Amino acid sequence: MTAASQGAPGFSLSRFADTILPKLVIAPTVLACLIGFYAFIGWTAWLSFTESRLLPRYEWAGFVQYIELFGNDRWWTAMQNLAVFGGLFIFFGLLIGLVMAVLLDQKIRGEGAIRTIYLYPMALSFIVTGTAWKWILNPGLGVEKLLHDWGFTGVVFDWIINPDFAIYTVVIAGIWQSSGFVMALFLAGLRGVDDSIIKAAQMDGASLPTIYTRIIIPSLRPVFLSAFMILAHIAVKSFDLVMALTGGGPGFATDLPSIFMYQHGFTRGQLGLGAASAMMMLFTVAAVVMPFLYSELRRERRG
Amino acid sequence: MAELAYHQTTGAKVARYVIYAVLIAMVLFYLAPLFVMLSTSFKSLDEIRTGNLLSLPSSISFDAWRAAWSSACTGIECGGMAPYFSNSLKMMIPAVLISTLVGAFNGYILSMWRFKGSDTFFLLLLIGTFLPFQVIILPMAQVLGMLEIEDSTTRLILVHVIYGLQFTTLFFRNYYVTVPGELVSAARIDGAGFFRIFFKILLPISIPTIMVCLIWQTTQIWNDFLFGVIFSSGDGQPITVALNNLVNTSTGVKQYNVDMAAAIIAALPTLIVYAIGGKYFVRGLTAGAVKG
Amino acid sequence: MGALSIRNVKKSYGDTHILKGIDLEIDKGQFLILVGPSGCGKSTLLNMIAGLDDISSGEIAIADRVVNKLSPKDRDIAMVFQSYALYPNMSVKKNIAFGLEIRKVPKAEQEEIIARVAKTLQIEHLLDRKPSQLSGGQRQRVAMGRALARNPTLFLFDEPLSNLDAKLRVEMRTEIKLLHQRLGTTIVYVTHDQIEAMTLGDRIAVMKDGEVKQFGSPQEIYDTPANLYVAGFIGSPAMNFIPVQLGEEGGHAVVVLDNGSTPQSVRLGPISEAQRAFVGKQVILGVRPEQLTDPESAHSDRTNLQSLQATVAITEPTGPDTLVTVTLNGVKTVARCHPRAAGHPGQAVTLVLDPTKALLFDPASEKRLA
Ligand SMILES: Nc1ncnc2c1ncn2[C@@H]1O[C@H](COP(=O)(O)OP(=O)(O)OP(=O)(O)O)[C@@H](O)[C@H]1O
Ligand SMILES: [Mg+2]
Repeated sequence: MTAASQGAPGFSLSRFADTILPKLVIAPTVLACLIGFYAFIGWTAWLSFTESRLLPRYEWAGFVQYIELFGNDRWWTAMQNLAVFGGLFIFFGLLIGLVMAVLLDQKIRGEGAIRTIYLYPMALSFIVTGTAWKWILNPGLGVEKLLHDWGFTGVVFDWIINPDFAIYTVVIAGIWQSSGFVMALFLAGLRGVDDSIIKAAQMDGASLPTIYTRIIIPSLRPVFLSAFMILAHIAVKSFDLVMALTGGGPGFATDLPSIFMYQHGFTRGQLGLGAASAMMMLFTVAAVVMPFLYSELRRERRG
Repeated sequence: MAELAYHQTTGAKVARYVIYAVLIAMVLFYLAPLFVMLSTSFKSLDEIRTGNLLSLPSSISFDAWRAAWSSACTGIECGGMAPYFSNSLKMMIPAVLISTLVGAFNGYILSMWRFKGSDTFFLLLLIGTFLPFQVIILPMAQVLGMLEIEDSTTRLILVHVIYGLQFTTLFFRNYYVTVPGELVSAARIDGAGFFRIFFKILLPISIPTIMVCLIWQTTQIWNDFLFGVIFSSGDGQPITVALNNLVNTSTGVKQYNVDMAAAIIAALPTLIVYAIGGKYFVRGLTAGAVKG
Repeated sequence: MGALSIRNVKKSYGDTHILKGIDLEIDKGQFLILVGPSGCGKSTLLNMIAGLDDISSGEIAIADRVVNKLSPKDRDIAMVFQSYALYPNMSVKKNIAFGLEIRKVPKAEQEEIIARVAKTLQIEHLLDRKPSQLSGGQRQRVAMGRALARNPTLFLFDEPLSNLDAKLRVEMRTEIKLLHQRLGTTIVYVTHDQIEAMTLGDRIAVMKDGEVKQFGSPQEIYDTPANLYVAGFIGSPAMNFIPVQLGEEGGHAVVVLDNGSTPQSVRLGPISEAQRAFVGKQVILGVRPEQLTDPESAHSDRTNLQSLQATVAITEPTGPDTLVTVTLNGVKTVARCHPRAAGHPGQAVTLVLDPTKALLFDPASEKRLA
């Protein structure tokens, strides 16, 4: 029996199918993932170490592109803009999102409708958002005209064409689009807070603002963390919004790394420099995301 | 968080009014751009110049809408948004369906048919959701060139499927890990194979996840600009690229009413999706939150 | 050669060895119980019999056919799961028919089978419902119906009753037993409930840490447990383990039990060769609570019952009996007494011990000294 058992009578096609089919079906995705992400990152990295211009070249050229990038004023302007835009966008996004979530959590009549209105911009393309705000902020016919019509005749509101202020228009439009989503995240977090803790605090005589500032909001730490991650991620990748709203201008006043990368990589025939800037964007994202990803993974492992 | 008791003191009442006032002010802030877009799109250019953002059109004119749809110039072409709208549809529908179906299979395998290395692969896929696309677009452009795929729609379908799979897989995997594995064991003993179990048992109980996935992918792909502007060309471009071209074309008199009508046209499909499936949309946003 | 043979089956995930060489064999129509604490590998073994999981080494044969490389559907088995695993999107009827459809059973025959199974399990009125519209007990029945419909050579049950409340569990237990008697099917049944194991099984395999600690009939396992683990696991309340020094007197084993004030010599059964080797050494005396009782309740036909004096520490009435805890040789020892003879804490009681049932264990190897 033992000898025979190893041979033919035990073999079955369906058992073979059970072990092979899943791997076969997932293989294209594995391939797409390994090539589409990881091999392509390697490829971009390689390009960033070459002197590629209009066409890719693959001879090693060391750090020339990075040296050029770091000596490029426009790049630093873009990075600076990213810092200003990202900082304000994240800060006000979190603040507005949190405040609205707390206010909405007070048994508000029509909460569902209000929530729907806060969130709809998230369904729009950044291009549409940019187009709308470009018109609203139009220096001659937009908000400025409205204020004049209302009697504030001396007011000048030309941020969108003013190099010193244009970046703030990007912040406004970005927040308009994304803060409702942050609100939704916080609201979900608030709804998850344990009732009994709040009841206990009330028994102790804590006032409502105290309960929020001392108990509820500190317990939303994980929500803060993920909202921060998401906003930071949106900020670093921001491209369409600026393209539609200001096109990176006036001058380079609203230029961002993503636009820098696009123009050098695709319209100016500076492949190597574009690749180097893309790698820098990757590092920027990694610097923000790594700590978060690390803690997430540790939680998965334990869970 | 239920009963936070309110003592009906005057202070509490005033606080309540303030809360409502703030909330309503925010509602106006969010709605204003939509209102401005709509009212501008129905005005004539003269009215736009004489009125202001919040003034209502004296009479409703559809001229701007007609122009936006069929005759506005996006660069050198002057055929309106219509052809680009159909480009976006032609690319979006297959890309959404393919990425959802493949994502469902992947999620099924990564939860019910785990194999050596499958968890590692899932991790790699998860990391992919954090990457900025800038870091892959240069090689992708090279590869599409080498493969000699000329058709913009085909290119965009391919790219959207590849870079949408991480999310669709994530949605389904996260749902299927909550389904007891005994269900699959029972079906295997009943004699069902890999595909039958998927189509007959798991897919029918995945409707909410399918909805989340469809809505997420629809909005992502319809609203995409980066891939559109890079991987498509000329009359094969998606609507976001066409809209941007229309708005930022600097020839002739600026027709703000046409711009707004075109913007609404470009926004309409995803707005409708949001109106119908808002619940799933929000769920997808929070689940796929990593991308935003 | 039997209905199911498991030969030296091992399973490991990397360096963790879940099953460490399992050998079991049952005949057609037998009811095999796999019992053991949580995590001992019962489900793993069952899944390997079903073919849901690969075995690392060894051999499994069902009806004399080695099935190592067969997929679950080719093994001619049916299985009932702890979570029932009913297909949520299908009606009860569809749930039962699913396996038949796949096996291309003709429609008319399917209807016949469903009707028969539904009648057997009294679920005819539930056929059009969805699983979500059923109670726990009803789901359990449907899960069994799904298995019965296929009429396989081997039934596998993985803790099928553990999600039911206590009363329903006893009811279903009886029904499963009846069903087995009526249909004469071969069953492998996993449980961690030793009462379920005793009441249902023809053969019991007591498992721990991926090993079979003893394999035998319920009575063998109960009367002559192979080791301290099995002795302690089976039986409720659990067997008392009293450390004693073993002596010999006129061919009988003798131990001394001290109730705290007086050491009392107790004469056990005739000493065996294995036991003789331990004379003068420490051994463990195993006595089940019902073998330690008041003189009145003791079987009067038993001769040479051994009397003991002890002081009551606690009494726990269970209704028909009262459990009396006393201290012997420094360990808490439970006796099962008649409620009237139980006494009160602090009182002295006389207990009698059935020397023929008392067991001796080697404290080092934990094996029974046969
Ligand atoms: N895929 C796996 N990888 C590693 N270890 C596993 C895996 N599956 C099960 N185990 C381990 O195998 C051991 C036996 O698991 P099994 O499910 O067979 O226990 P069980 O006896 O059925 O317990 P229970 O009564 O709780 O159902 C457990 O310690 C479990 O942690
Ligand atoms: Mg188990």
